[in-house]
Amino acid sequence: MRNAERLCLAHFWVAFAAFLVAAALGTWQMWVRSPLGAHIGTPGQYFMSVTAHGVSMAYVLTTFFIMGFGYFVAVTALDRPLPGKPWAWAAFWAAIIGVVMVLLTIIAGKASVLFTFYPPLTASPWFYIGLVLVVVASWVWCILMLAAMAGWKRENRGRPVPLAMFATVANAVMWLWTTVGVAVELLYQVIPAAFGWVQTIDVGLARTLFSWTLHAIVYFWLIPAYIAFYTMVPRAAGGRLYSDTMGRLTFILFLIYSLPVGMHHLLMDPEHGNGTKFIQVLLTAFVSVPTLLTIFTITASLEIAGRLRGGRGVLGWIAALPWERPTVLAVGLAFVMLGFGGFGGLINMGYGMNAMVHNTSWVTAHFHLIFGGSVVIMYFAIAYEIWPRLTGREHSSLAPLRWQLWLWFIGMMVMTLPWHWLGLQGQWRRVANFNYADPIIASWGPLVIVSVVGGFLLLLSALLFVRNLIALHRSAIIAVRRPLYALAVHPPQRVPAALNGFGLWNVLVLVLMLLAYGYPLAQFAITPSPSAMVHRVQ
Amino acid sequence: MPVEQPSAASDSFEVADEVSETALADVLRVVPLGAGVLAGTMVALLVLGYLAVYLLVFLPRGPVG
Amino acid sequence: MSDTHPEVHEERILWTELLWAFGVGIFIAASLSMIVFTALTRDINPPSNVERVDPKTLHLSGEFAEQNLGTSVGSDGSVTVRMIATQFMFAPRCIAVPQGRRVTLRFASPDVIHGLLITGTNVNTMVIPGFVAQVHTEFARTGDLLMPCHEYCGLGHSEMYATVQVMSQSDFIPEADGRVSCAKR
Repeated sequence: MRNAERLCLAHFWVAFAAFLVAAALGTWQMWVRSPLGAHIGTPGQYFMSVTAHGVSMAYVLTTFFIMGFGYFVAVTALDRPLPGKPWAWAAFWAAIIGVVMVLLTIIAGKASVLFTFYPPLTASPWFYIGLVLVVVASWVWCILMLAAMAGWKRENRGRPVPLAMFATVANAVMWLWTTVGVAVELLYQVIPAAFGWVQTIDVGLARTLFSWTLHAIVYFWLIPAYIAFYTMVPRAAGGRLYSDTMGRLTFILFLIYSLPVGMHHLLMDPEHGNGTKFIQVLLTAFVSVPTLLTIFTITASLEIAGRLRGGRGVLGWIAALPWERPTVLAVGLAFVMLGFGGFGGLINMGYGMNAMVHNTSWVTAHFHLIFGGSVVIMYFAIAYEIWPRLTGREHSSLAPLRWQLWLWFIGMMVMTLPWHWLGLQGQWRRVANFNYADPIIASWGPLVIVSVVGGFLLLLSALLFVRNLIALHRSAIIAVRRPLYALAVHPPQRVPAALNGFGLWNVLVLVLMLLAYGYPLAQFAITPSPSAMVHRVQ
Repeated sequence: MPVEQPSAASDSFEVADEVSETALADVLRVVPLGAGVLAGTMVALLVLGYLAVYLLVFLPRGPVG
Repeated sequence: MSDTHPEVHEERILWTELLWAFGVGIFIAASLSMIVFTALTRDINPPSNVERVDPKTLHLSGEFAEQNLGTSVGSDGSVTVRMIATQFMFAPRCIAVPQGRRVTLRFASPDVIHGLLITGTNVNTMVIPGFVAQVHTEFARTGDLLMPCHEYCGLGHSEMYATVQVMSQSDFIPEADGRVSCAKR
């Protein structure tokens, strides 16, 4: 693998170590806020844990995994050495320094602001600077992804960029756009406030800038899972990708529509009017399209595989699929969770209907199910699939892998389905302990306990996942040469430039962002909000 | 961690697979019927669920604005 | 054999994808139409009254001074609730509202971001320092409801909630100054 194994493994192990710690913290949080742990833990400990859990899962697991996976794809899909490998390592270490800064400030109790860090609540400036370091490292990754694709295109004039790399670069381009919001918020507003250079802050502006990043970032997380859907699952199932063209279109649609929709997180906010909120709801409806297209294309790809294996009848091909292979099992489970999670998302974005669920456990359920569920289960599948290539060893048995995936699915469903119901009852978020003496809250107790059981299953699954990877490092079986990426039914010989690069799409992103965020941001310059006092959490 | 070992797989993107073009052509006569039915049913359930929540849970809770 | 030619496959494949996209598009258009329809005819919108207020001087004078907080009935019969959301309580801690009448709730924060909902209703809003948050609704049933703060506002966030007493219209009697207080229980 052209000596990139170490680079990839370093990123992956940081990601999965953060994941395991965060899983344990999450389980503890669920315990102490349930009737079972009613008098355990202080609010200080709880919110420190929530901050660490959110930062680890949302920023560390994801960024490091995506960077490692991107390097892997750049080398294997393009069959080329990674350009600028020293820069990749420098970025890795910068990110590590950032993570250490973030962790230390959290543990010191100076950063209990949660992963969304809404000002005027303000943490130690070193918390934010640590996060900035991680983001800057990811920008280096973006540039290297662009450089890798550009280098390959120079040497392969006129040929279509392999889909896995095309999608990775789409994700990198989207990430560059995505991070602008939080970077401006941190550099222009929050870090100066944290250092005490300013005493007040424009809260409406900060929230709006963060919303720019907050939705697009989940697509940054999601796209690697979709890369696995399009480029790995069909091969693992023994079939073909139904349409390479639809794959390219899907990733382009994500690039365009992931960004101008962030204000659907601000539907309940008083600093924006109905008009701009509705525009972003409309655009959010458009971003559901690539997922709906993907469901069809990947199901059709699986149908090809199932029918090639002898499946008959309208749905008989489902049973004929090789479910004993972890990647195939993972996509099946992922699609079930995508169905439920997507359903929740459609309700969240329903304009006025958001009032029914905003900041209730419904929202917590939604993002744990769709990200923690459908996306992270594919991260597991990707890891299981590529670890033999990184270590040169083979799994001695696939059974523990399947167990781990099933445990994750069952745990996630048991944890999140009750939360949906509780959210509709009005159970609200980010609570260290509930007053179970109140009759309304008391009625929630039993379902809270059910979801705690789900949390424990997830922790078990997380432990098993790490165990499975460690076991592979120690496996005595040498890995067999085996192709990874899927072929399409019609492998493209040439594709139009629009489906092979991003120049045109960047223009469209700019236009849509001006339409969606132009006025909402400009209004803060035209009519500044009365500013609020900075509140330091110490 | 073996770094210099020969790579565990030939990962060039367009490595041929074991699918025969005739078998593929055969199944492509039927595909995507199954996918259409399965995905279509799931999306239909999604839509119905959405409508149900909108009409039976959300609207009865009163106006908001 | 023309029927195994990849280009023929690809053309048919793209047609099926187009058909699926069309079906999906109809569903999306229908959902959006429903949202627009209820927004226009049943006044179902997210709370979006953009109104600025200085958080640093809320308590001193004007609409959110302490003597103006709580429920009051205007001379035209309109019911308005004014509350402050602050670390870590709502002021007042209990409000009385009538069943079956339009109520306007207005909130402001002198410090950090808060948010609130009222259980069993569609009342839900963020309270952003610098802005007045305004929500209209109509309470369908009598009874006691919870109004928690639902956005993290600091270590005392978990203890921050108010009570909403929904009274029948016969019990909802304003005092001379138009104020209505919670019933003592």
